[in-house]
Amino acid sequence: MNFDLSPEQRALAEAAAAFFTASASPANARSTLEDGTPIAPGRAALAETGFAAITVPDAAGGGGGTVLDLAVVAEQAGRVLAGPSIVTAARAAVLLAGDDERLSALASGRTSFAVVDGVSPVLDATTAEVFLALRGDALVYASGEVTERAPIDPTRGLGDVVLGEATVLVEDARDRWTRSVQVGQIILAAEGLGTAARALEIGVEYAKQRSAFGRAIGSYQAVKHALVDVYVGVEQLRSLVWFAAWAADESPDELAMAALAAKGLAAGVVERAAETLIQVHGGIGFTWEHDAHLYWRRSKVDRFLLGDDVAAFDAVARLALAEPAAV
Amino acid sequence: MNFDDTPEEATWREHVRAYIGEHRDQLAIFGAGGRRGEDLAIARMSQATLYDGGFVGVTWPREYGGQGGTPMQESIVYQEMSRAGVSQLIGLIGIGMCGPTVIAHGSDDQKRRYLTRLLRADDIWCQLFSEPAAGSDLAGLRTRAVRDGDDWRINGQKVWTTQAHMADYGILLTRTDPEQPKHRGLTMFVVDMHAPGVTVRPLRQMSGHADFNEVFFDDVVIPDSERLGPVDGGWTVALTTLMSERLSIGGAGTDVGAGIDSVLEHVRKHIGALSEDRQALVRQEFGRQYVASMAIRYTGYRQLSALSQGRMPGPEASAGKLAGTEAARAVADLCVRLLGGDAVYASDLDGSRTWPDLQATLPGLAIAGGTDQILRNILGERVLGLPAEPRADKGITFNQSIAGGRS
Repeated sequence: MNFDLSPEQRALAEAAAAFFTASASPANARSTLEDGTPIAPGRAALAETGFAAITVPDAAGGGGGTVLDLAVVAEQAGRVLAGPSIVTAARAAVLLAGDDERLSALASGRTSFAVVDGVSPVLDATTAEVFLALRGDALVYASGEVTERAPIDPTRGLGDVVLGEATVLVEDARDRWTRSVQVGQIILAAEGLGTAARALEIGVEYAKQRSAFGRAIGSYQAVKHALVDVYVGVEQLRSLVWFAAWAADESPDELAMAALAAKGLAAGVVERAAETLIQVHGGIGFTWEHDAHLYWRRSKVDRFLLGDDVAAFDAVARLALAEPAAV
Repeated sequence: MNFDDTPEEATWREHVRAYIGEHRDQLAIFGAGGRRGEDLAIARMSQATLYDGGFVGVTWPREYGGQGGTPMQESIVYQEMSRAGVSQLIGLIGIGMCGPTVIAHGSDDQKRRYLTRLLRADDIWCQLFSEPAAGSDLAGLRTRAVRDGDDWRINGQKVWTTQAHMADYGILLTRTDPEQPKHRGLTMFVVDMHAPGVTVRPLRQMSGHADFNEVFFDDVVIPDSERLGPVDGGWTVALTTLMSERLSIGGAGTDVGAGIDSVLEHVRKHIGALSEDRQALVRQEFGRQYVASMAIRYTGYRQLSALSQGRMPGPEASAGKLAGTEAARAVADLCVRLLGGDAVYASDLDGSRTWPDLQATLPGLAIAGGTDQILRNILGERVLGLPAEPRADKGITFNQSIAGGRS
């Protein structure tokens, strides 16, 4: 057993960290929120670096990498509240498998995809030209009319979509659709891992500097223990994100459970990290000018994407209960 | 990343599994007799049998009776024991904590006399650290050791000492110089638990069980040759013990409290009788705890992988205990709730006490081996780098701290 990232994956994480910290930040998220500035780094820059197309095969101009590779990158994207989400590219890559022309359009950024799940809000809809959706059992490629609504987290590009003219790409697409949801849940959890880890770092830094009653507030157990509880959650989440991503690559039998577990755990961990970040800062953390609410916004939105945590836990229980009883 | 055994690990696992299969008659099987430790002779035979196969002290150096193996090999042994229903080793405290301390700080003579017998469970060992007035603040301990020629005279009391009632030896942390600050002035010894003046009294826990004890020392004589490490250097020795405890995470990634499989069976058994809305609530909570158990298991695997690559376990290992304790309590609560009306009784109509018993042991889990609060301090200060709690007894001697009511 070796449950750790490879040296190559660590190098990939470093490269992704360099790109995302240079091209996106909470300040960008703030601009998007305040005046509708385009989401950073945006589709073109993401396509140029190839980070979002890691799971697209080499032959179609992608990275030919694994879901775990992509999860490592997504964590870095989550740290700086980058958009569009790596989830969108990850899901499109699954859905378009075998269609090298469209995969190449995805990898190069020629076409801006989004994925539509039933009636729920669509991630990255506001920057998409083409929508992938399930009609019956068929995968369709469609135009769509996007209605933007007042966002909580503007970096997610959420909108309601009414599909227009549709072309069937794959007749029996049920399995690949399921996989695209599972991979999406894992990458969403990976972004959440980065968001939570970064929120924790900011909270810890502040708790070291801010003084009250003659001491750094981080020396008080009430503050210290709150941050530690976030740390514990982040590390538990890291284990499930890595395991689920590995399962997506290597262990199809474990994928459904692992993806739900990562999704369900991420929702609560990110939310707690963001709320603790605000609480540790006290009054300043509750202001518009402080970045804490940008992380909080991400957490309040992400928990509902690709099903909420309650649905994930229910599905986990159903899967566990459906397994044959141990002899 | 890879969760399969390496070829070497697979060979080792087969070897362990075959041996356990062949020697099943000489091994203590969980649930076959009474509770663990009730049948001491069987428990000792079980450990000796596993020792003879080369499966006890796997990570210890060969010169001390170990196998010079890896933490992963040790973990595989524990996994295979669990799989075959073999009870935990009776001498785990000795193997994981006392023995490594003797290896690090004992004389050649002590190593020769003690270590192999410890691994074979010829002797059972206990760890005599906590006291009535020194638990989380261990360095505030008061048991006195006073030099008397070539001997030391020990007076004082220890408490919460697991297995003291069956132990042959213990490692004993004492105060030798109260005129130094509390972390200095401590000295560690090996004590013969059968020596005159040692009195062991079982302590009954709130669960009704008696797994640990209080131990009184009345003018107990220990030869200076049984000292572990330098006079007044006992704190460093104690840190070795606590570090070894962290290293002996053979159970890394296993469930704390009730195994998730037994919880699953319990949920299966009861959920059908509930109304649909109630079933949804049970699924939600069970799913949440199932996910928690997965996260704990895989976090344990990460630690084990790091250990296998030769990285020392750091304070971050405490995070696993915090998460495990929290999950264990939530799981027990769910399982007790599923008993319906029986949930208010100590046993159900069939006489089963499993879940009420578990419920009554869990408060102890958040205290033993570092309280939740102390673990959070350790993680906050050593991993997150947050400033330490102010200490009112810093820079003064132990005697001054007692006089000031600060210890």
